[in-house]
Amino acid sequence: MRKLAVDVVVIGGGSTGAGVVRDVAMRGYSTVLLERADLGQGTTGRFHGLLHSGGRYVVSDPLSATECAQENAILSRIQAGAVEMTGGYFVTGPDDDPSFADKFLAGAAATGVPAQEIPVAEALRNEPRLNRGIKRAIEVLDGTVDGWQLVWGAANSARHYGAQILTYHKVTKIDTVDGHVAAVHCTDLKNGEDVVIETGFVLNCAGPWAGQIAAMAGAHPVDVIPGRGIMVAMSHRLVNRVVNRCIYPADGDILVPVHTVSIIGTTDVKVDDPDNLAIEANEVQQMFDAGEVLVPGFRKARALHAWAGARPLIKDNRVAATDTRHMSRGMAVIDHTTRDGLDGMLTIGGGKLTTYRLMAEHIVDAMCEKLGEKRVCRTADEDMPVEGAGPNYVVTHRLHDREHDRLDDQIICECELMSRKMFTDALAEQPKGTFDDLRRQLRLGMGPCQGGFCSMRATGIALASEHIDIERATELLRLFLKNRWIGLWPILHGEQLRQTALDNWIFAGTLDIEHLPAAESEVVL
Amino acid sequence: MSRVVVIGSGLAGLVAANRLADGGADVVLLSKGIGGLQLGQGTVDVLGYTPERVTNPIKAVTKVDKGHPYAAIGAQGVLTALSYLKELVPDLLVGDPEANYHLPTAVGALRPTCLAQPSMLAGNLKAGSAVVVVGLRRLKDFQPELVAGNLARTELPDGGRVSARAINVDAVAREGEIDSSGLVFANAFDDPAFRARFAAMLAPQLNDGEIVALPAVIGLKDRQAHQDLSTQLGHPIFEIPLPPPSVAGLRLNQALNARAQAAGVRMVSGVRTVGFTADGDRIRSVRNATVPAEREYRADAFVLATGGFEAGALSMDSYGTVTETLFGLPLVGAENTPLIHGDYWGGEQPIFRVGVAVDPQMRVLGNGQPVYANLRAAGDLIAGSSRWSEKSGDGIAAASAVLAADSILKEL
Repeated sequence: MRKLAVDVVVIGGGSTGAGVVRDVAMRGYSTVLLERADLGQGTTGRFHGLLHSGGRYVVSDPLSATECAQENAILSRIQAGAVEMTGGYFVTGPDDDPSFADKFLAGAAATGVPAQEIPVAEALRNEPRLNRGIKRAIEVLDGTVDGWQLVWGAANSARHYGAQILTYHKVTKIDTVDGHVAAVHCTDLKNGEDVVIETGFVLNCAGPWAGQIAAMAGAHPVDVIPGRGIMVAMSHRLVNRVVNRCIYPADGDILVPVHTVSIIGTTDVKVDDPDNLAIEANEVQQMFDAGEVLVPGFRKARALHAWAGARPLIKDNRVAATDTRHMSRGMAVIDHTTRDGLDGMLTIGGGKLTTYRLMAEHIVDAMCEKLGEKRVCRTADEDMPVEGAGPNYVVTHRLHDREHDRLDDQIICECELMSRKMFTDALAEQPKGTFDDLRRQLRLGMGPCQGGFCSMRATGIALASEHIDIERATELLRLFLKNRWIGLWPILHGEQLRQTALDNWIFAGTLDIEHLPAAESEVVL
Repeated sequence: MSRVVVIGSGLAGLVAANRLADGGADVVLLSKGIGGLQLGQGTVDVLGYTPERVTNPIKAVTKVDKGHPYAAIGAQGVLTALSYLKELVPDLLVGDPEANYHLPTAVGALRPTCLAQPSMLAGNLKAGSAVVVVGLRRLKDFQPELVAGNLARTELPDGGRVSARAINVDAVAREGEIDSSGLVFANAFDDPAFRARFAAMLAPQLNDGEIVALPAVIGLKDRQAHQDLSTQLGHPIFEIPLPPPSVAGLRLNQALNARAQAAGVRMVSGVRTVGFTADGDRIRSVRNATVPAEREYRADAFVLATGGFEAGALSMDSYGTVTETLFGLPLVGAENTPLIHGDYWGGEQPIFRVGVAVDPQMRVLGNGQPVYANLRAAGDLIAGSSRWSEKSGDGIAAASAVLAADSILKEL
């Protein structure tokens, strides 16, 4: 058993937890972040990649709109390498009410969200695939953001300030003594070791899993109602700007160009279990229909992959009136002292990725206040540069990189231009990682072939690196293909079905991967 | 002379075209590309798993379920096709229809196949053999540690194991290039001087008695390249096929194409066949999408060897509707639900069994009757088999092509 002692334990390694642990560390507290899987593996890695301009909320949720506009400006400065400044349009579709655009412009002016109506002809010139029948177009400052880059940026910054980031550590128990949080127990899932962390404060940032964490400390049930949303990635960039329907927020109202794909989202269905998110066939059809409205011919474009994320919506009637200053309609800080008679724990819910830094500021402010300390938040003032990136992300960056090293290094994943060195470097940093952990950093297997050509190469290279043995290598390959399939089969048709047939010819046909020997004993991945 | 149009230049199309030309027909082979053989492993599978590992493929062919392509083809159909294939490319395919080889793959599994290239045969390993798997540092599609690691922990079909180790050789196939394809290496290995340099680099690293496993890039044109290299090394060697582009598949493709041309087949490639005209129950012509105007090819009989989903011959749209993309032929198996399931390792996907039904003459059926009296299908288009899993694609393709060709020749 390992023992640690820190001022603050942060639970949850999504954007919220990463932002919080950075803020806590920057204010001079010793801290550790616990995440049961890899960073950004929950909701943060399962969204559409939009960095909100605020435009989406100017009519429905003015406070969120203003927050988004402010945080958009901050994040595109402090995490420039994770953000692509695509710009965005709100367009009135052929059958949409054109008067909503007037409400939109008025709302934008009132909330401080930069927005400007442009001629439809100009929008069509800049985005030639857009529906020729659109009636109005408004230009906004939407961007796109890589949720994983964002989380690692914050986590690395936190490490720089002394924080420990423990991934694959699952919280099992929270001890309280005389109504005060005293220790957090967790298990290191990679080796089964128990870890006990003595602490005076727990910040519960587990998103859709926050209710489960609060219950471990004996708090009254926190009603987390996960809202499932599905996203479908289409190959290539059908648009180069974020394109939103200029309507009251609805399903399938946004198309986001991220990296080499365009992502359409999303739906909102209440579910019970955030660990069990189905990608329903009717919702996929709904996304294709919505895509047709924005970009005619959408159904004939190549759908690559789908995923579902759970929004961390918290509905809590016990939140005391005194807490509301920490709340907006998008986020809520739950003070367990007044609510449950439990000192030393705060829970945060709601919010959105664009405002992750602000959420962290709110909850850490609340913690400082409870501790009776005045420590100022500095998270908006310090940059988190991404190695190798320019001021902002550009989609051609890997083409640029490979142009420089193509005579010295091999391209292991042609779809996403991942070099051998990129893979071996990431593996050396995370030798116990799965190929999906590496994928989130490298985009391995995320292009049109969905792992068909690169995954065998990656397996062999990982084995040759001597970080892993043959049984682990083989099981990692099996797991990677299995996991790719989760997001493939619900959308499979057209060219991607054709690709799958080719991939099957390679894996089953040429390689006979189905008949590799099983591991002699269970391999913990 | 009667005219026959064959559409598609994978194994089925090439075998059908050769067979028809040999039988005296005037054959036009239409293909949109260079065919699917270079996507495969360059051997001829008949039946490898049922799902148990098959040792005698012909015997296993007689036991398939109704609805499987082999049920219409029959064991005799397979035997005829295999001996014809060996005649077509005598120096490239060897093997016994009643005994599968079990050859290591590029992940180290032991893959059953019926006819193989001579350069692969030393891979049919005996228990106790010592194998050294040689990687080429500049060829990313062959990872020797993965091959050796899995090979060493695999039980051979007859029991026992082999020992295996991995080494790497930094041979330069093209100066200044670190990311060379298998084809670049194959061209290099066609050069005796390159082979000599390679043998000199490799030989000191070999132990007595070891069998040398190499990626299947040991020459494209020079059929003696592997024998020459083996002699220079003083060790038996065998080739392991790679994912596409597969040099082993390309060899087969080039040999069958050359044979077809020599037999008088007219090749029209690089153009997609997009339409047809019919006259009652007979196809009169097909149309190619040439520029500036489509070109029509009339014939007395047609062989549709356009492949399966991978080739674009079958397609499913975003609403889940499956079609045969040239003639809009009736399909069997498409009514099953679900066509695709979510368990990757949980067995075959029903979608990939969808295809056309055929009679013993390979005429395409609808409601139990030929849809067109002069339209036959061959290869992956025929319904009822998950070819990559059971390792049956080549046998079905070659046998259906021979049956289609022979029944056409009888009618002409």
